[in-house]
Amino acid sequence: MTMLERAIRVPFALALALIASSPALALGAGQDEPAAAPKAFPQDAGQNDPAAAAKAFQKPAYSPYARRTYPTRPLFGDTHLHTAASFDAGAFGARLGARDAYRFARGEEVTSNTGQPVKLSRPLDFLVVSDHSDNMGFFPDLYAGKPELLADPTGRRWYDMIKSGKGEQAAIEIIQAFSQGTFPKDLIYFPGTRAYRGAWQNNIAAADQYNEPGRFTAFIGYEWTSNTGGNNLHRNVIFRDGGGKASQVEPFTVYKPYGSDNPADLWKWMDAYEKKTGGSVLAIPHNGNLSNGLMFPVVEEFGKKLDRAYVESRAHWERLYEVTQTKGTGEAHPVLSPNDEFADFEIWDKGNLDGSVPKQKSMLEFEYARSALKNGLKLEQRLGTNPYKFGLIGSSDAHTGLSTVEEDNFFGKTAPQEPSPERMGATFFEDPKTGVKIMDWEVGASGYAAVWAAENTREAIWDAMERRETYATTGTRMIVRFFGGWEFEPKDADNRMPATIGYARGVPMGGDLRKAPAGKTPTFLVGALKDPIGANLDRIQIVKGWLDGKGEVHEQVYDVAWSGDRKPDPKTGKVPLVGSTVKLEEATWTNTIGAPELIAVWKDPAFDPAQRAFYYARVIEIPTPRWTAYDAKRFGVKPLPGTRMTVTERAYTAPIWYSPK
Amino acid sequence: MRSTLREPLIQFLALGLLLFLFFEWRGGGSGGSRIVVTHGELEHLASGFARTWQRPPTDEELKALVDDRVKEEIAAREAVASGLDRDDTIIRRRLRQKLEFVVEDTVEQAPPTDADLKAWLDTHADAFRSEAQVSFRQVFLSPERRGARASADAAQILARLRVAGPDADTARLGDATMLPAELPLEPVREVRLSFGEGFARGIEALAPGEWAGPVQSSYGLHLVLVRERVPASVPELASVRPEVEREVVAERRRRALEALYRRLLEKYTVEIERPASSSSTGSASATAAAGAPR
Repeated sequence: MTMLERAIRVPFALALALIASSPALALGAGQDEPAAAPKAFPQDAGQNDPAAAAKAFQKPAYSPYARRTYPTRPLFGDTHLHTAASFDAGAFGARLGARDAYRFARGEEVTSNTGQPVKLSRPLDFLVVSDHSDNMGFFPDLYAGKPELLADPTGRRWYDMIKSGKGEQAAIEIIQAFSQGTFPKDLIYFPGTRAYRGAWQNNIAAADQYNEPGRFTAFIGYEWTSNTGGNNLHRNVIFRDGGGKASQVEPFTVYKPYGSDNPADLWKWMDAYEKKTGGSVLAIPHNGNLSNGLMFPVVEEFGKKLDRAYVESRAHWERLYEVTQTKGTGEAHPVLSPNDEFADFEIWDKGNLDGSVPKQKSMLEFEYARSALKNGLKLEQRLGTNPYKFGLIGSSDAHTGLSTVEEDNFFGKTAPQEPSPERMGATFFEDPKTGVKIMDWEVGASGYAAVWAAENTREAIWDAMERRETYATTGTRMIVRFFGGWEFEPKDADNRMPATIGYARGVPMGGDLRKAPAGKTPTFLVGALKDPIGANLDRIQIVKGWLDGKGEVHEQVYDVAWSGDRKPDPKTGKVPLVGSTVKLEEATWTNTIGAPELIAVWKDPAFDPAQRAFYYARVIEIPTPRWTAYDAKRFGVKPLPGTRMTVTERAYTAPIWYSPK
Repeated sequence: MRSTLREPLIQFLALGLLLFLFFEWRGGGSGGSRIVVTHGELEHLASGFARTWQRPPTDEELKALVDDRVKEEIAAREAVASGLDRDDTIIRRRLRQKLEFVVEDTVEQAPPTDADLKAWLDTHADAFRSEAQVSFRQVFLSPERRGARASADAAQILARLRVAGPDADTARLGDATMLPAELPLEPVREVRLSFGEGFARGIEALAPGEWAGPVQSSYGLHLVLVRERVPASVPELASVRPEVEREVVAERRRRALEALYRRLLEKYTVEIERPASSSSTGSASATAAAGAPR
């Protein structure tokens, strides 16, 4: 072949190679199949899990403990993690991809974005890699094979090399050919051209590859990043389904006309997905604290008065709220709850997401979870449905591919925040016009989602999220049970199997109590076990919110169980602080205060059966060193003045709601 | 002259010129100040929309898509012409990502054979070993409640349990706890997650069928009866095939990327400038730096 002949053939061969490398075409895929044909799904074929098999074939048991139908421990995971596929993560310097993220979450040691070895203290049970939907790209699955191109010898040669495992050699030749060719524009848009493969298909493939029912669940998901004017309205979208369904759609973005920054349009997208595929999907908003008053509207949203359609849609699609993460915790705020001495916790209240608009006090009511739960009761009264009836979870929002939220193992929110002597003193971002400035030390090592799922599968975990049987932790793995019913008695707290009583005689967290039987008051069975490698517990509280006869909302925090022999203050009813064993210079603490386990039955002392209410449990640990204290010790650096050095980790359960009808 | 005209090269060039002129006359493609939105692009835009909204775009929406596309094309050309694409970290990272995608995809085109998978499983058996499993009962003693008496109480209760045997009624023994009193056969990992590493190791040596202890956990003391133990074993390929395949492909992907950079680096010479005041930051040679894949 002369040089000239080769030069002419290159463009066609290149096109061929690109087509040939599209698996969809190679498999002769049909109209509705995904562009990147996923491998066989282990979960559909059914994997033999010896433990499950053993359970199924047991003889009828004498023991009441055998074959429980409810879980003995919650599953811990992260529903909000970014990898290098996210535009901003990559810009920050993230190198880890979805597969690295899953390996790490499953307990393997990996190399971080800054080259440091890192491993979790214990594996997580599930992970959602939720990269930003914008820039994940989209590729139509049109197919048009041109048989005559396959006849070209160079193309054929490349095709054969690829098929016989010499793919990387072929790839190098293709890339080098790329640099020589210019060819008709239409071919660049040829569907399935691998150079244009999007992160979406890649993430789906990674999730399906790392999903191991019974052992580790990898969810498909993405983050819809509505951020107009710097006001955060982000949601994480989580699929119950595998790649077969998820890859039939493109994620919803925020750029018109493909996308929109209005959550109501996201919900339309979710509805269309379910109708098209028969699958299921839910959305979890986060960072109301950076929405500058837009996260939980009460009057209007996007210029439209709140109506039935809005409240019903929101209640349907948004069953959870991510209340704690690296960019602050948003349960309560000291301005909104001045009588709650635990409200001031990892607060970020200076402005919106990019600091372009400073915070005003009037915004706070519409940003924090407790306030939203209260206003939800008002809206239910007014419009018939409570749009803010959400369970609570925590997650990291790490942009490193590493779901690290333990204080002594924190790898930051972004790649530059991975451990280094500098990170405690650096500025995260600053808007020179408004003066809003966030320091790296303000980033919190938080949080995890704890889900009471019957088993570790996509379906079981997703279903538990859908019914709100979840709680948030700020990074530790304490175990919390919370049940509401009409018949719990104090002696139930001494029962060896409180969960059995809880499920039998009440509803778990996320559930509903209705229409109080005559003369009855809601009773709650609540218990918490410390994280097996963590700190003792200080106390369990129950937070009540209710709507009175005049249409006003109220809140009250009750101490329900606490360690030691502290007595509630006779005037205020509050239990004194537990103290602290933290030695900052050593970054240590001891479990000589607090208790490893607390459990109690509590009865509402101020119940009015005609008034809507909610109750959720907040469990607080004894003080422990914050990640900043570990950094100070390990790197020998002095923290900036004002740096928070200790933390009281906590869990927030999904509420149980009471309604008169 | 005639021999020149007979040169295949000249003939091809002439043919090419004719084709080029013909192409230009017919309207050609985009270039310079000309923007053409081709059928392929229109289909691309519309189908991207349809995959998001589950319906085709209306005429108005399609117009918006096309308008945006044209703006994007203009912006891209102007930006490139102004050199905005140079030295842009994001663009460079995206380009690198796309390059690596091409190689990664070719790896996925040739799935590993059964022989490949078997070989990997044999050499990496430990990574796929199914975990050891254990089922046990436990009676809890709380140091909070019993203080210094806890150890003595434990010994006493253990004696009673030993007499009562594996099916002893433990309902009133020890202290109430939310920790489960009985765990069915489960991987040891679950024990670690619920009771902590210390406890999991503490019960490793216990012989099944008899009450023993006390075993310490971060919650307190436990008297334990191990019911059954199933040792770890290397599974058959059939039951771990997807995981093995995943690992094999991951390794191939990694090697393909390394090979890519090795091959491409052969085309380049790399010079790394050293600061004028040479502190001994090591004398990493250019070759070494060039050879190290990132």
